[in-house]
Amino acid sequence: MNYLYFLYVQILTNYHIPKILADITFPIIPFCIIAAAVILTVLILVLAERKILALFTQRKGPNRVGYCGILQTVADAIKLLFKQNIDIDNSDKFLFNVAPIIVFVPAMLLWGFIPYSSEFTFMNFSVSSLLYITIAVLPVIGIILAGYASNNNFSLIGAIRSAAQIISYELPIMFVLLSVVLLSSSINIKDIVFSQLGSLSVLNWHIFPCIIGFLVMFICVIAELNRCPFDLPEAESELVAGYNVEYSGMRFALFFLAEYALMFIMCAFLVTLFFGGFLPVTSKYISEMIFSNSQYLSVCIYFEQVMWLVIKTIILVYIVMLIRATLPRLGSESLMKFSWYVLLPVSMINFIVIAIIKFFIEGGAV
Amino acid sequence: MILSKIKALIEGHLTVFKHTFKKNITLEYPENKQILPETFRGKPDWVSEKCIACKICERVCPAGAVKIEKQDNNIKFHLDLSKCIICGNCAYNCPKEAICMSKEYELATDNKKDLYIEINSNSEVI
Repeated sequence: MNYLYFLYVQILTNYHIPKILADITFPIIPFCIIAAAVILTVLILVLAERKILALFTQRKGPNRVGYCGILQTVADAIKLLFKQNIDIDNSDKFLFNVAPIIVFVPAMLLWGFIPYSSEFTFMNFSVSSLLYITIAVLPVIGIILAGYASNNNFSLIGAIRSAAQIISYELPIMFVLLSVVLLSSSINIKDIVFSQLGSLSVLNWHIFPCIIGFLVMFICVIAELNRCPFDLPEAESELVAGYNVEYSGMRFALFFLAEYALMFIMCAFLVTLFFGGFLPVTSKYISEMIFSNSQYLSVCIYFEQVMWLVIKTIILVYIVMLIRATLPRLGSESLMKFSWYVLLPVSMINFIVIAIIKFFIEGGAV
Repeated sequence: MILSKIKALIEGHLTVFKHTFKKNITLEYPENKQILPETFRGKPDWVSEKCIACKICERVCPAGAVKIEKQDNNIKFHLDLSKCIICGNCAYNCPKEAICMSKEYELATDNKKDLYIEINSNSEVI
């Protein structure tokens, strides 16, 4: 971050702008970048999901608006913007309005924690991984409020289901995170990424000692995102649309935006924990080979690191969509059983095994 | 037990994944249309030259959609498409093959009057 700050000040002083202005505007830039990135990614993800689901079922998907339907989600967004916000009688007006915001804000906040490149983390705290997990649970409060404030039985049942789901799937995530923290001996996300840097390149990633942990966490993340096959809170066939039955227009768009923003960033978090984050798959950076003598080499490397993170995340998001296309919805009882009887014990055993592995890697030193 | 379940899971995902490379089965309808089979039945067509006004089609029609009127040298053919169920009975029973089933199936209109077809023939009755 320091490097970028000095670069920014240097650019501004070239145009004879005082340094104080640079100090004031610099913290605003990350927010603008995140806001733009969230909206862009969600627009692309929604279209990509519809296209990919169409491919899996041998359909064409959206193909009318723009070339091959690329503007479909833009048209949908414009429609949602101009749609009427319906207020319901006998509902808690304040909570009803505030719930979508409570869902959306944590989803956007999480984007700040991921290290996009070695110098580019918006919020780099020493305990950022714990903070990340804590904030990732917050959207459920908004979901419960939405279910309660709508004064609708379907919404309330959906909200309660979501709360129960998150409580039971949060514990295995914590245990897996604990084993990753143990492997890298740090709770800072950036340090976790750097601990996967080594002479063996790909083989140094945490996925190799901790593959069972990854599978457990991947399942739990899908459950936390309320996606198929764990989409009980919005089960269309039973609950109409769960907690967002009564929402329309921009408020519904906020729920929708939060869901896809969370999906992308959770996959990015998994990538940083297990697949080396922004580290390259190749042993050397590609830009190091191409622009070896250029003065912009360091800048090129930062962009390449972002590219690696995005590529890995896209592959994981694709798998999430593949799972949605394949598996049917679980029953609410088997959902709970699966978490408490299978995932939690497995993640605990994984933690112990990782501790033993770590003990031998460190050379058996106490 | 658990291994067989995991194997089934992986197989299921692979099957879905393989569909990505298969050809689409849906068409972009107004631009691309389906190739119709030989025996497809669409809107009934009437050929005035062949008709002898025997009224078999009128009797055979289960929905009462066809009506033939004979006035001296002129035969009038009435077809109510809002009643027609496109069963093909009229074409099957016609002794002179004056009615045949076309392959036209886009019959939706804004106006119900368009569904009522009336054709005059001034040819001589044999």
